[in-house]
Amino acid sequence: MTVYWIFLAHKENTMSSLEDDLKQLIIDSLDLEDISVEDIDSQEALFNEGLGLDSIDALELGLAIRKKYNVRIDAEKDDVVKIFASVAALAEFIESERH
Amino acid sequence: MQQDFILQKWAVWPPLQADAEQDLARQGELLASVPKMLKRRLSPLAKIVFCAANQCIDEHTIIPTVFSSAHGELGKSFAMMEMLEAGEEISPTAFSLSVHNAIAGLFSIAWQNKLQSTVVAPGEEGLAAAFIEALGLLQEGAEQVLLVFYDEPMLDFYPFAPFKLSADESCALALRIAKSGEGQALRMSLLPLTGNDGEQPVQLPAFIRFLSAPQAQLTLKTPQHSWRWEKMLNQHSSRGKLHG
Repeated sequence: MTVYWIFLAHKENTMSSLEDDLKQLIIDSLDLEDISVEDIDSQEALFNEGLGLDSIDALELGLAIRKKYNVRIDAEKDDVVKIFASVAALAEFIESERH
Repeated sequence: MQQDFILQKWAVWPPLQADAEQDLARQGELLASVPKMLKRRLSPLAKIVFCAANQCIDEHTIIPTVFSSAHGELGKSFAMMEMLEAGEEISPTAFSLSVHNAIAGLFSIAWQNKLQSTVVAPGEEGLAAAFIEALGLLQEGAEQVLLVFYDEPMLDFYPFAPFKLSADESCALALRIAKSGEGQALRMSLLPLTGNDGEQPVQLPAFIRFLSAPQAQLTLKTPQHSWRWEKMLNQHSSRGKLHG
């Protein structure tokens, strides 16, 4: 039981630091000059209403993720809408692909 | 060929009398209406195009546009070619903004301007090509047309020196023209005289001098022929309304 708790805490820590890294990657690769990591909510929609990104941003972000995490998002195979839904969804996908 | 038209308004950016601090503040004002998410995509060249154009039209003006640039965003293309050479993947954003009609596209989105937009790469014909396009639109019935000329200095990589085709400074000139009405009447004529006054980036400063000085006419020679612009006297001549 104790072991399980430690594992969970560890996982939450990695996820939240991965989420912060992703937020910084989004800001840097998409030239969001006026936005900081704190401004992006992990659960918030990245496209349309939420952060307001568009289709070119999706391509750019896909490239940035491939370069940084060596994780390829395949539009044919993967559920792109779900993966790009939020920072949390992106982090979950990257984490699952890396293991 | 000879064609008369009215110059309703014109503007150049950066301003002729540069004042770094003041110009930066004014540039901020001129770009204030551009949505934030679009503004991040504006290159330095796109910004000067927007600043010149913005001074010639109101925020909600819907107007056919003709853009003219000898080299467009050549610097962006060059940077991508260097990345390809290094075996790196190129940025989709940079690619989409490197094409010759990229700035015109951003402009149409920012101004919600859904009327036709043409982008000319005029070669040795220089400024005349876009004028012919714009005058054609007026002939077809457009009430007014926005013409925007822009170029920036070429990278040293290109052997431009002997060809008179690189600008010394980045510059954008916007003109709003109409078939009739108030403004400065101008006449554009084709002459058989040949020569070489350079391509658009080299012609542009001469044309701006012609507009801003009490100079009655300007002839620009190309290897094929020449083009002449003359200021005409007109009833409604209201030079005070022109801006430079």
